[in-house]
Amino acid sequence: MIEISSLAKRFEVENPKKLSEQEKKDPRLKGRYFQSVKDVSFSCGQGEVLGLLGPNGAGKTTTLRMLSTALKPDSGTVVIDGEDVLANPIIARKKIGFLSSSTGLYGRLTGRENIAYFGELHGITKSIISARIEEMADLLDMQSFLDRRAENFSSGMKQKTAIARAVIHEPSLVVLDEPTTGLDIMATSTVMDFIQRLKDKGTPVIFSTHHLDEVQMLCDRVTVINQGESVFNDSLAAFSALSDGQMHKSFLHTLKMNTAEVGQCG
Amino acid sequence: MWLIFKKEFKELLRDRKTIIFMIVLPLLLFPLIFGVAMFFMNSAAEKAENVVLKYAIVGEQYAPEMSQQFANETDKFTMVDIQGDADYAKLIKDETLDFVLVIPETFNNEVLTSGQHKLQLYLNDAGLNKVLGRVSEIVDVYTDEFQKTAFANLGLNESQQQALLAPIVIEKENIADDREVWGERLGGLLPYFIFILCLQGAMAPASDLGAGEKERGTLETLLISPMERYKLVLGKFFTIGVAGLITALITVSSMAIWGIVLSQGLAIEFVAEVMAMIGIIDFVLIFLMLIPVVAIFAAVLLSLSIYARSFKEAQSYMGALVMVVVFPVLIAMMPGVKLEGGWIWVPLTNVALAMKELFKGTMDYFALFGIFTSTAAIAVALIAFCVFWFNKEKVLFR
Repeated sequence: MIEISSLAKRFEVENPKKLSEQEKKDPRLKGRYFQSVKDVSFSCGQGEVLGLLGPNGAGKTTTLRMLSTALKPDSGTVVIDGEDVLANPIIARKKIGFLSSSTGLYGRLTGRENIAYFGELHGITKSIISARIEEMADLLDMQSFLDRRAENFSSGMKQKTAIARAVIHEPSLVVLDEPTTGLDIMATSTVMDFIQRLKDKGTPVIFSTHHLDEVQMLCDRVTVINQGESVFNDSLAAFSALSDGQMHKSFLHTLKMNTAEVGQCG
Repeated sequence: MWLIFKKEFKELLRDRKTIIFMIVLPLLLFPLIFGVAMFFMNSAAEKAENVVLKYAIVGEQYAPEMSQQFANETDKFTMVDIQGDADYAKLIKDETLDFVLVIPETFNNEVLTSGQHKLQLYLNDAGLNKVLGRVSEIVDVYTDEFQKTAFANLGLNESQQQALLAPIVIEKENIADDREVWGERLGGLLPYFIFILCLQGAMAPASDLGAGEKERGTLETLLISPMERYKLVLGKFFTIGVAGLITALITVSSMAIWGIVLSQGLAIEFVAEVMAMIGIIDFVLIFLMLIPVVAIFAAVLLSLSIYARSFKEAQSYMGALVMVVVFPVLIAMMPGVKLEGGWIWVPLTNVALAMKELFKGTMDYFALFGIFTSTAAIAVALIAFCVFWFNKEKVLFR
């Protein structure tokens, strides 16, 4: 169970003069500071999958980075299974499995070594790591490339390895930042199946995405972030009901936009 | 921390570029530099001495014997006919001639009555053909002959002749032994190479361990592992430091090994002389002094690397660092800068000076306390800064 309330985070802009005209017009820019996240709150219970939606630059990644402890919020709280993330980041990190949008791997290490390294960082014994790697390699269909160097992996192979690495310590919460971006249909399907499996095991999953079909397929809850604020936070059914089951219209509805306005944004 | 070090080092050893900078370059650089320099110097000198010079003599009728001697040495000179009023400079510039020698009409007169004879030599002195030297070989014979005739006419004995030629002579009594002389010459230059090699050895892993993590997208995942930040930094710092130390060790060992090979195997006399003067303890001390130096390099390189957004940006910062490192070594090369007083406490410069003193055999071993203390203090401060730097979101998520 994770509860996030009133998260806020601002960044100092290194060189405000270098910002584009569109960035300069963003109401979140105040002098040298950019309020990336203003007020974000949501929660995700046991066995639930929460889809985090929002346009580019809305503050999704910053929010996920804060709840994974990579960034420290300026204000607000993140509580995982009763543990305050801000007060005890090291303990919180043991409970979180995080997959960043970049899915970076160490190219000169094999897939197995990449996963094992993070297992060891979590203090898991080598024998348990080996057993878990074998288990995940079967689940994610990784056996054929597990012992090859990661520098030659396809994006699908990289993503599978990164997912295995994120969950090697069997976290009580899994956070995935755009896990299917850039993947082909087969790899996307494997990732979707994996999220479903986590859900079946009762592990809460939060993932950000731009694919509404994935939200429809997997999510129990939906949170929409716009301009650094959570503008919608409810069940999938409630989200869908906003526009009679038409997901993209529901999404635009939460942003208080219509289709014509979307064209202007592009 | 050990876990981080182990993983980083494993990756390091699988990187060909790092291996080249860390092992191959320091192993081969010294013999390569000396070998290539000696080869080019020898072949350039040989070529310069053997090339046949195209010449013209104006006024050859005033010195027919000397002119004939130029003509006789066909393996060294070849005559080209020119007009008396020709533009000598132009002929030399367009390489029709290498030199023109103009002999005055008074050349055969006795020097005591006519005064000094002035021969004009037109040449391109920017070339490597040793024109003046080769012309002088022939002209000097006549200079000696003219001198002897003049002295004989004056009725001077040999001692008077010598006194007249050089009324005052400075007789140098050098109290410096050979080691000090060679130490002064080589000892100033060696720290320059050693420092640059250690820096180069540490640079490749440093770029990878900081900026490389950002560029690959692995930094974020690493930051949210339950490993404390200072342990992450120390793991990375030790990896870079060990890479630099391996480079230092190989550099110093390479110097010693190649020194032995050149002095004993190839019997190169000057190397044998130098090697006979330097003991194994000197090499060990050089290596020990390089430990805190490498620690300074590792901490600075890691800080720069983690600040950079990309591998490329990191390498541009590190390129500038080379200049910063060279500066204290250059100070140590300046005349009058010695390992004494305040210089003992100036990091990097003190190590460069100490290396020179070790080579010269004039090391004041009490200075080692100041050297190690100041260098280690700077290294510790820089590591602390590195940890602080690694905790700044502004740096990590630029």
